[in-house]
Amino acid sequence: MSQDAIHPETDVETAGSPEEDVMVEVRNLKTYYGGDKPGPFGGRPVRAVDGVTFDIRRGETLGLVGESGCGKTTLGRTLIQLENATDGTIRFDGTDITTLNGYELKQWRRNAQMVFQDPDSSLNDRMTVGEIVREPLDVHEWGTPRERRQRVRDLLDTVGLQREHYYRYPHQFSGGQRQRIGIARTLALEPEFIVLDEPVSALDVSVQAEVINLLEELQDDFGLTYLFIAHDLSVVRHICDRVAVMYLGNIMELGPTEELFSDPANPYTHSLLSAIPEPDPTSDAERITLHGTPPNPRYPPDGCPFSTRCPARIRPPGYDDLDDEVWQAITTLEEILRERMRADRSIKDRVRGMLGLETRYSTIDEIYDEAFGDVRVPSRIEPTLDDVAEHVSANNESDALEVLKEEFSGACQKQKPEYYTVSNSGRRSYCHRHDPEYRSPEQTLDDRHR
Amino acid sequence: MSTNDTEDDRTLRDRVAENPRPAAVWLAGFAVLILLELGRFADGATNLGIIAELGVAAVVGTAKLIGGNVGSTVADPLGPVVFALTLVLILAGLAGIIRSLIPFSPTKTLDLDVPDARRVLVDRVLVTAALAGLTALLMLTPVGDAVDTGVAAIISGLDAASNLPTITSRELIPNQGHRLPEGGWEGTFLGLSPAVAWFIRVCVVYGYAFLLLYWFWRGYLTYRDHYREADWAPIDDTTNRLRGHPWGQAGLVIVIMFVVMAVWAPALGPVTAEENLYQPYQNEHTYLNDNGELETSAHGTLNIQTRSNGDSNVGPFSYDQYDRWAPFGTNSDGKDLFTFLMYGARTSLVIGLLATGLSAGFALALAMVTAYYRGLVDLVAVIGSDSIQSVPFILLVLLLFVVFREADHPIVSLYDGGILLALILAFTYWPALWRSIRGPSLQIAQAEWIDAAKSFGQRPSVTMRKHMAPYVVIYIIIYASLVLGTIVITTAALSFLGLGINPPTPEWGRMIAEGRSFISTKSWHVATIPGILIVFVVTGFNAFGDALRDAMDVQADVGGEGGGGGA
Repeated sequence: MSQDAIHPETDVETAGSPEEDVMVEVRNLKTYYGGDKPGPFGGRPVRAVDGVTFDIRRGETLGLVGESGCGKTTLGRTLIQLENATDGTIRFDGTDITTLNGYELKQWRRNAQMVFQDPDSSLNDRMTVGEIVREPLDVHEWGTPRERRQRVRDLLDTVGLQREHYYRYPHQFSGGQRQRIGIARTLALEPEFIVLDEPVSALDVSVQAEVINLLEELQDDFGLTYLFIAHDLSVVRHICDRVAVMYLGNIMELGPTEELFSDPANPYTHSLLSAIPEPDPTSDAERITLHGTPPNPRYPPDGCPFSTRCPARIRPPGYDDLDDEVWQAITTLEEILRERMRADRSIKDRVRGMLGLETRYSTIDEIYDEAFGDVRVPSRIEPTLDDVAEHVSANNESDALEVLKEEFSGACQKQKPEYYTVSNSGRRSYCHRHDPEYRSPEQTLDDRHR
Repeated sequence: MSTNDTEDDRTLRDRVAENPRPAAVWLAGFAVLILLELGRFADGATNLGIIAELGVAAVVGTAKLIGGNVGSTVADPLGPVVFALTLVLILAGLAGIIRSLIPFSPTKTLDLDVPDARRVLVDRVLVTAALAGLTALLMLTPVGDAVDTGVAAIISGLDAASNLPTITSRELIPNQGHRLPEGGWEGTFLGLSPAVAWFIRVCVVYGYAFLLLYWFWRGYLTYRDHYREADWAPIDDTTNRLRGHPWGQAGLVIVIMFVVMAVWAPALGPVTAEENLYQPYQNEHTYLNDNGELETSAHGTLNIQTRSNGDSNVGPFSYDQYDRWAPFGTNSDGKDLFTFLMYGARTSLVIGLLATGLSAGFALALAMVTAYYRGLVDLVAVIGSDSIQSVPFILLVLLLFVVFREADHPIVSLYDGGILLALILAFTYWPALWRSIRGPSLQIAQAEWIDAAKSFGQRPSVTMRKHMAPYVVIYIIIYASLVLGTIVITTAALSFLGLGINPPTPEWGRMIAEGRSFISTKSWHVATIPGILIVFVVTGFNAFGDALRDAMDVQADVGGEGGGGGA
């Protein structure tokens, strides 16, 4: 396995041969919510997409997986310009679409469309199916009105509905049929690129397969390029050519589907895949359970985005032999302190704290109780914890965190990792552990979890 | 159905041609109904023409005013130039609307080679040019005179038609006559007593009005059952729910009765408004005096003897001493109260519809814009509406009224202050209406179909109209029906205070004010009857609004809300 460092900003060629027909080039794309306004109403932005770089090749299906809230829908919406990118470029056949506006943007929109997640909410219930599917044609003044009606009927045919459904209302259809109507609307302008935002997750399992098959057929018939956003990994494995794994606004790993599923490189991909139930009862693979919740995207970690929960986190040299439980407790402690630091303290709280009265903030004893519980704390780390306790008692969480970081941080928390190419197919993974200096994620996970 | 082109794509005309019978039956019935009241409809058409003329005059007048002002301040020859420029500018503004209404693109039709990016602009220029050409043709060439002649011919035709007898006219069923010395009546319908003749006319009016409305409903049903392509539409559920809502139907009946009162006021009163309200001394009445002789004198003179002011009294459902039928008695001036109330309904309805229509329309438009763009626009609207709402309502109305009246603004003279009152009420009611639909608007603006519309480049104005307004308009209709009742009360309350509508324009509230000192006397009816009518009308509007809310319950129709899942 080759492990060559690749710098995302400088050398961005991700995969394989240069003659690959790249349709969409995304470079260091960032989409932040809020915080763009200076002044009292501004604030820290939510970093929904925090610098992603990848290509989508013509005719392929790129999967985008991740937990809810990891920014995958935002990324999809940014790609079709429903959200404005904060930074970075999206080149669509060489044109940077983040700079388009007015007439050019409207014309470009014909090329890129989206299938929405919830068929109940994506169709206007007060319009007939015909009107819904015809609307994009009307907007772009496609042909004559008669030709438009004809095309709508053809489209209904294409997506497996009946031509007579033109005058029905969405109410009269099931979820799967409604999603077909949405797909017909998406196809109306003959786009080349379609973002599928969890197109089947709101449907019955029995209908999911039908819609997936329809999407595959349409891709073959019309030469479509898909970005398939999903959290159902088995569907992704079925339909996608390549998969990007997203966590907290970053792409953790990107590579060909089969390879990524059978031999994941990134610790996050490992944990995500281990969540798929194993049909083999004799399998001895132990599940990797992630502790805690993803960090607040308003305050992402300084180092690797996954460092707060990573099961293969690089530990500082002196503490390599500490128990997993202790590490878990320290991470919890850090999290609590960070939350406390961000909480706005009202004047009343401050006064009560100064007078030694009870506030709605827990004391350090309670915090330790919550974090450590009945974990046996090794005597080595006790001085550090006492230090932390002192700072917290003085309501000085940032100093406390500084102490913790100084003592217990490894490379993962200190600096952002780089993208490493981890296989001959050009698969990339965003993890410090691919650096030859450290043990690989596989080995580490094997050690710690098996 | 086959996949054949023509089979697939049938226009309404094709569908009617296939099965003409139901449409023919309906149209025949409709034609009969129209013919029965041709005179009144011709009258209405003339009035519409007058309003349209006023609109054109306003456009030309504005341009003339600006041109004249510039001409007088700068240099004389500049005046006509500025006049022409302003006119073209106004026409250009109209061109945008017209372009979006015509089904084809002029540029495409003319085969002009224009890049797509400019096409909309070129379209507008073309439409403006066409409008300007037409205007010039009308103003500068003999064509204008020819059109004038044509218009005059149409007007005279309408005039002639409006003189035709109609089934609900006073002339067909007269009730104003006098007793004959030998017994019996002269001048009334079939020689019946004035009371019976009047009652027949009232029945005919209401019968006709309800028949007409029923026929419209039949027309809708005919269309739905025979010619609509969709076999089900969301509105079907609404009408079905409304059908099973007796409380709302009762409200609707009261509302219709009120509207009919306003529309057919001239036919409903036992005397005409001229005789009763405006010129009682110019119109005469013939009656049989105590000596058995026919005598004629002015209404005004007779009214002095027929006052209901506690001392003398003409109560409800009685004749006065001059054999004039007074269904609701007379008022303290001796005038017929019923006629006063019928015309008063007209005043209330005009003010109510104008004020509600303006405030609801503005609130809806504003809600669309604020919900779609949010942020700063919304904040400004919140501050604006809060500022208006923070001023005590009556105080604000009084203030505006006095300011306009003291300044002697021309608007005060329109409808004896009624139009001004309507505008003031519209100004004070829009914040409440906007507030009440702000929530639903913001909610609907989050629907995914709005994102879908954005994703294929739909214009914001169309998105608001097609994808947001239909969901919010339900709320505004409901609130507007409630506000309409409130406005009727408010108008009456202001007239009661001596503000609002000046005499002689009739207004219900003023009659309550006039009659309130006689409540404890035998002339109790002067204040009581208008009071009861107000209660009925407002209750009717509220009941109807209630039924609309139940029938159009949005929660039952709209699926779950919320933006995209995931991130």
